[in-house]
Order: sequence, then C-alpha cells, then structure tokens
Amino acid sequence: MTRLRWLCLLLPLSLPAQAPPFVQRVRSVVEAYAHPAGSGPLGYANIAAKLWLHEDPALCSRRLEELLDAPTGDMFWMYPISAIAYLDRGQLTDSARRAFRDSFRTYMPYRGDTENHWVMYYTSLYLMAQLWPDQDGDQWYTGKSSAENMREAAGWLESWVRLTTTRGQGEYDSPNYMGLYFLSMSYLSAWARDPAMQKRATMMLDYLTADYAAEELDGVYAGAHSRVYDREVLEKWNVASSDFGWVLFGLGHPLSPPANPILFYVVASAYQPPEILQRISTDRSQPYTHYERKRTRNRWRFFDELHGPVYKTTYVRREYAVSSDQGGTLQPIQEHSWDVTWSVPDPRGVENTLFTLNPHSSLHELETYFTFPPDIGISGVVSSKKSYDSPDKFVGGSPYEKIFQDQDTIVALYDIAPGARFPHINGFFSKDLAEVSEDPSGWIFARGGDALIACRPLQPYTWKPIEGGGRRLFSPYLKNGIVVQVAARSEFADMPAFRGAILALPLEFQLEPTPSVRFHSLRGRILEFTYGETPSADGAPLDYAHWPLFGGPFLEAPVDSEILILKYGSMRRTLDFRRLTVTDAR
Amino acid sequence: MGRWLLVLAILPFALSAQYTLYTCGASSKDYVVGAKLPASGIFLKPAGGEWRHAGFNHPFITAFDFDPRDPSVVYAAAGNGLLRIFAGGERWKILTGSDSTELLDVALDRNAPGTIYFGHTHGIQVSHDSGATWHDAASGLRRKYTAALRVDSRRAGFLVAGTEQGILRSEDGGTSWRLAGAAGIQVLHIEQSPHDPCYWLASTEGGGLFDSTDCGVSFESNGNLGVGRNLYDIAFDPASPNRIAVAGWGVGVAFTEDRGKTWQPRNAGLPATNIWSVVFDPAQPGRVYTSVHEDAIYVSADNGRTWSKDGLAGSSIFRMKFVPEAPRQ
Repeated sequence: MTRLRWLCLLLPLSLPAQAPPFVQRVRSVVEAYAHPAGSGPLGYANIAAKLWLHEDPALCSRRLEELLDAPTGDMFWMYPISAIAYLDRGQLTDSARRAFRDSFRTYMPYRGDTENHWVMYYTSLYLMAQLWPDQDGDQWYTGKSSAENMREAAGWLESWVRLTTTRGQGEYDSPNYMGLYFLSMSYLSAWARDPAMQKRATMMLDYLTADYAAEELDGVYAGAHSRVYDREVLEKWNVASSDFGWVLFGLGHPLSPPANPILFYVVASAYQPPEILQRISTDRSQPYTHYERKRTRNRWRFFDELHGPVYKTTYVRREYAVSSDQGGTLQPIQEHSWDVTWSVPDPRGVENTLFTLNPHSSLHELETYFTFPPDIGISGVVSSKKSYDSPDKFVGGSPYEKIFQDQDTIVALYDIAPGARFPHINGFFSKDLAEVSEDPSGWIFARGGDALIACRPLQPYTWKPIEGGGRRLFSPYLKNGIVVQVAARSEFADMPAFRGAILALPLEFQLEPTPSVRFHSLRGRILEFTYGETPSADGAPLDYAHWPLFGGPFLEAPVDSEILILKYGSMRRTLDFRRLTVTDAR
Repeated sequence: MGRWLLVLAILPFALSAQYTLYTCGASSKDYVVGAKLPASGIFLKPAGGEWRHAGFNHPFITAFDFDPRDPSVVYAAAGNGLLRIFAGGERWKILTGSDSTELLDVALDRNAPGTIYFGHTHGIQVSHDSGATWHDAASGLRRKYTAALRVDSRRAGFLVAGTEQGILRSEDGGTSWRLAGAAGIQVLHIEQSPHDPCYWLASTEGGGLFDSTDCGVSFESNGNLGVGRNLYDIAFDPASPNRIAVAGWGVGVAFTEDRGKTWQPRNAGLPATNIWSVVFDPAQPGRVYTSVHEDAIYVSADNGRTWSKDGLAGSSIFRMKFVPEAPRQ
C-alpha cells in the first residue's frame, strides 16, 4: 500500500508534459514529504509537510521533541524549525512547543559566512522574534531581547533587498542555492506581520523569479552561475532549480523526491508568479540576449572594494542558451563562468552542456573570500568540495580566464601564469553530443539536441575519458583560448552545411605575447578580443560602464535604481522597491 | 615611571596565583556550516580543575580578552560577533549586530575603562561603553581585513594592528593609521612584552617574526624563524623577561631565552609540529601549554623541553589565555 501510494505521488512528478495545475504541483511536493517512501524517522521537512496537511500532530510532536533534544545545523536548522513554528496552528503539544521555544535559548546557530546563510538566519530570527515578542535576552541564545533581535534582523533583511536591487546578488543565479532565497522570501511573504516587510518580500519573490525565468530553458538554469556542484554543472537538470521551474511554471521535471527548499517554499506562501512571469519563462519563440549585472561575494582581502561587478550575458532561443560572465575569480570555489546549454525533451540523466575552464586552485583565491588560517584553507575546502584541488575538475573560476560573448558566440581566452598549480584548460564534451567530428581546419563540430556547435581550440589538445561518459579536452598551454559558435539546427540543411558556413567565417588569432582573437561571427559581427582588454563588436567596445542590472526584452533595471520592470508584449509589471509598489499595465 | 606603573598594574593578578586557562577552538575535523558540530567554542581549565566545555557550541571563536576591572567577564571574537561571556563561561551575549562578521581578534584598553576594540573581516570596531555602541576605527585603512590587534598597555588609544598590508599603528584610537612594518605581509598575531612595553613581536604569514624595540613605532624582521611558514601565536613568559615562545605550522614551538636573539625548537613529546597556540602559566613558572592541530593540548613543566598530553583530545585549539579568577584586594 505504501509503495503504491508513493508511486501515485510520483506519477505527476514524472509526467511534465501534462504538468498539473499549480495547486496540484504544490500539493504533490507536500505529499512527497508528508508521506515519504522510506520508513525512517520523520525529519523536520516531513513534520512541516504533515502540519501543513493537518496530519499526525501527535506523531509530529513526539518526533519534534526527539529532534530538538540535540539541535544541529545552524541556519539550515533555523529555517525548518521556523516554518514548523508557524505551521503549528494549534496542532503541536504544549511540550513540543516548549521544546522548540527552548531551543532558541539553549542552542546558538552559527550565522555563517555566505549570503544564503545570512538570509536564512535573519529571516528565521525575525519570524521567531515576531512569534515570541516582549521577551528579554535571557530567553534568546543571542542574549538580546525579542525587540533587539527583530530590529537587527529587519535591518539586515532591508539592507539585503536594497543591495540586491541596486547592485545585484552576490550569490547570483545559483541553481543549487536559489531555493534558499525563495523560501526565505516566501516565509516573510506569508508570515511577516509588518505590512512593509511582507510587501517587500512578496515583491522579492517576483524579483527572484524573474531573475531565473529569463535565463532558463525548459526549467533548466543556463550558466553562468555563482555556485554549482560537480554533478549539476554537467547534468544541468539535476539540481534544486528544476523543482522551482516545475512548481512555478510547470516546466521540465522536478527532482525525485524534490529537494527540501521547494517544500519550504510551498508550505509558506506558495506564491504563484503572475501571468507575465509565466509568459517570460515559457516564450522562447524569438531569440533574445539578456544582460545582468551582479556582484562578487564579499572580497575581504586583496581588493580595495568589497564587491566587484559581474557582467553577465545570456543568449536564449528555443533550441539552446549561451551564457557567460566576464571571467576571473568572481566567486570562490564553485563559479561556473560560461556554457552552452541545449534543450532536450527529457534532461534527466542528460549532460546537455559544453564549456571550458582553467582549473584553478589557490590559497590566494580562498583568502580573498574566507578567513581560514592559511595552513588549513585548501584542505578545509576539499573536505566538503572534493574537486576543488583537482586538475580534472569542471567547476570554478580562474583569474587566468577572460570571456567575451556576443549573441551565441563565445571567445574564451586564457593567459595562465607560469607556476600556476594547473597550467592547462579542461573542456567538457558530453556523452550526449552527437555528430562530433574534428575537422582538419582545427574546428570541432558537434550537435547537442537541436543546437549545432562549432569549437575552435587555439592550441593543440588531447582527449581524456570522463568517468560516467564523455570526454575532457585537455590542452596544456599557458597561452590558450577557444572560439565557440552555436546555431540552431533549423538554420542549416545539415551538419556539412553548418561546417561550410563556419569555415567561411574569417578567424584570426595570435597567442603571443597575449592571446588575441578577431572573428567574423555567424551573426555577421566582427568580434575582437585581446586578453585583459575590453572586447569590441563591429568596432564598438563593450560598454561595461552602462551595463544594466537587468536588460533585454523581458527585464529592465538600471543599476542603483531599486526598480525592476517586467515586460512581455504590451504587459508591464513595475516593482518599485523604494516605494514598495507594484504597478501592472497592459 | 611607565614600567613601574605596569608592574603595579599586573601585580594584583600575578600575586593572586589563581587563573583559569581559557581556550577556544573546535573539536571536529572538517566542519562545514550546517553540519553536526561536536563540542566546540570555549573550553576552560580552572586552577586545579579539569577541562570542561563552557557555554554554547560555536564553530568560530578566534580570540579573547578579559575585563581588567572584572576578569570574570571575558570578551570573545567569534563568527557571530563579539561575545560577552560571564558566569564561568556559561552565559553569553552577542554585543554586535549584522555589520560585523567573523571576528578575528579582540583587545581591551587597560587605560580606558569600557573601551573594547576588535578586528574582523572588514576592519576594526571600537566601543567606549563596554559594547553597548560601536564605531568604526578603520576608516583610515585602505585594506580592512584585520587579523590581529593589540592596545598598548601604557597608553589609551595606542593601537597596533595586523592587516594584509602589514603592521599598522594608530595613536588616536583608530582615527588615523600609519605603516609600522612588515609591508605587504599578512600579519597573524601581535603581542606586547609585559616586562618591557616598548618591546613588541608580530608573527606573520610566510614572513616570519617581526619585532619592535621602539614602543611599536617600527617593526623589523627578527630573523629567519618561521620564514616561509606561518606563525600563529606568541607568548611572553611572565616569570622571565627574556623567555618567549612562538608557535607555528611546521615550526612547532620555538623558544628564546635571550629575547629573540636566538631561537630553539622544543618539540620533544609533541606528535606533530603543526601548532596553533602556546601560553605560559603565570601561576607555575616553567609550565607551558600548547595546542597541536587536530590532536590535543599538551603541557610542559620545563619550559617546553618535554611535553605530555594534557587534554581535549581531537581538538584544534586556536588560542589560549590565562584569565585571573579573582583580583586580590
């Protein structure tokens, strides 16, 4: 019976083509946690789901007391327990309620060192201080009164929204971590009693959703990303963002079972994006280029400014997306600087992406962003991010990589310092590429789904097998680069026709003393790029100084404006964070 | 005159002969945020007592100082902010807000009651009202990251800070700063001699040891000790003006008996030479404690010539400090 019930629950999750309505998608996520397949003891997420369904309150109470006997998890404990406190609604026993109240006196969660940590920490602290007002510092692990905790949390949350809507997120476009921002704003949208905080959070849900909606392809988040893990950078579907694509828009396939951020998103506000965001997320009828400016993580050392700019370019069309930042170490450890992502009918198990990088590992990079004592910096990172110090890795930014993107053309140049730990570049060539051929001209041609891809490595290379399939392009030269041109299969009769078109494009490059490329792109643009210099298209230098916070056919926001305009056809939604107003127009 | 004042200042504590050894660190390997955290944070060893974990679990405590007016109040630099710790280590209050994170050092001004400085990822903050309000004391620093900070024991508002740009000195409570030495080298720790307040030492990341004999005005390289490695701690022996110990990674514990002219490694009995901290016991001349990375705290009864395990097995203790249990009236 249990197995049958579980299969019934999973059925809607596995049939995206017939994605059920939003409320059913929400319900299926909750059901997956309320009635888990395994027979293990309930966790916080299971308890939250059951309380949302008003189910098994006695069991939830007992289990909650067991779990709270020894809280652990820092802010990853705070956000589930905060949700449970608000989902209680009279269901929990007094004893269980005392246990979770007492835990905020006896357990001190670490506030962490990362943007998502702080959003979760302060969202939870805000809501718990709201729930238990007028208590003195003896009742809180902080030693501060409810009012002091709430004031501090509200201040930080307001400053985070201001920074995000003026200079962009630091932990931007992370397919793994985006859910933690969504769930935090969902909590405040549902449970904050201060109308301004509630409104601000609801507007941020539109903001965060728009940020994702303009850069996904069938729910799969196209690069570049601030943070990704080894698996999801290759199998791009296999990450929490897919849960959000499915629940918010009915796109693609959720994880099975869904990751817990979507559960906590739906048990709070279950905010359904407005129609204009549904349109933006699904309309890929016309190719478009979308621009974003983000910021780096806090750079504690080696820079005069705490945050540097991140300039993102994303080209999206039905068949594929190409996305990049400007290169460099903009984030520690887990940056993903550019890729081609192609659309596939079912991305589960498919590695539908192509990219190159210089694998970079250095104490200097870590010390820029972290406070580790120098002798345990790299070993400390490797303990949780296993590939960080691997020459074979496919994740991470490099100070020796500079990237220029114009529509669906990428020029990535490398000028690796002598003595760098890994003096080579890695290129990911998926097991799921078809029609791969190495042309005598030096171009590599391949097809990913309905995307035709041409790559021109600028130095000799060899192939190395990848465990699980695919090949790693390995090119051990300090001065290096690659030119990538993508096109839709529909634009050419066949691969030979595409090949002919590519070979007809003038390409000049030199590697000494500094890598430099001049390429006449398939889109008729003359692209010129020298490592370390501002690239140009048709003689016009890229205008980094006026790069928008969001720019493109769907989103518009100048830097420092605190205003985001969503656009679709004649539809407009304006989010004004200065006035906390939302204006819709057609 | 100044030296006499210093002696008078420390005399009550030295005579009391009752100290608690405060330490901070973690007892887990490879902790990442959100993971289960075994006992970490503050560990105490009272005079004649046993080691115990005190207060909350916290993965990130890097340094502490005590209130000279009431040594039962200890201030700790922590990930969550500056902590006031009292009631035998059991009660804590976070004194700072969301504008300070990952604190790295803390120092109280012995000549300005209620004045606390701390160094953190983004500079230096000062409070003149025992932590009720805070002000920026690093506006004059181009690069903010401050890993080490000390206040001159003789004069209020005279600061020596260790940053990524080297050793900087302020004579006005942090309003203005000027470079004092180790230019371009990340400084990890700073100490002032309790015997000669014009003698200072600073340890660095890769650059070895730097000393000052002109009251912290300028620092010069002390020699080759620890060059190419990282020196994490410095301890002056309160019983002997010329004996100093330095702890470092791959260095172990090095002692000098001639105030830094020559150094000898003393690691017999230590399982490894990856050392975080070293401290002299002010109540027992010759007794020294040191902490070995992911191993334990070790004790020596003969000024480091031999070591034996003392406690906190499996720990990495980043800093140790003897705190008077009660000043003699």
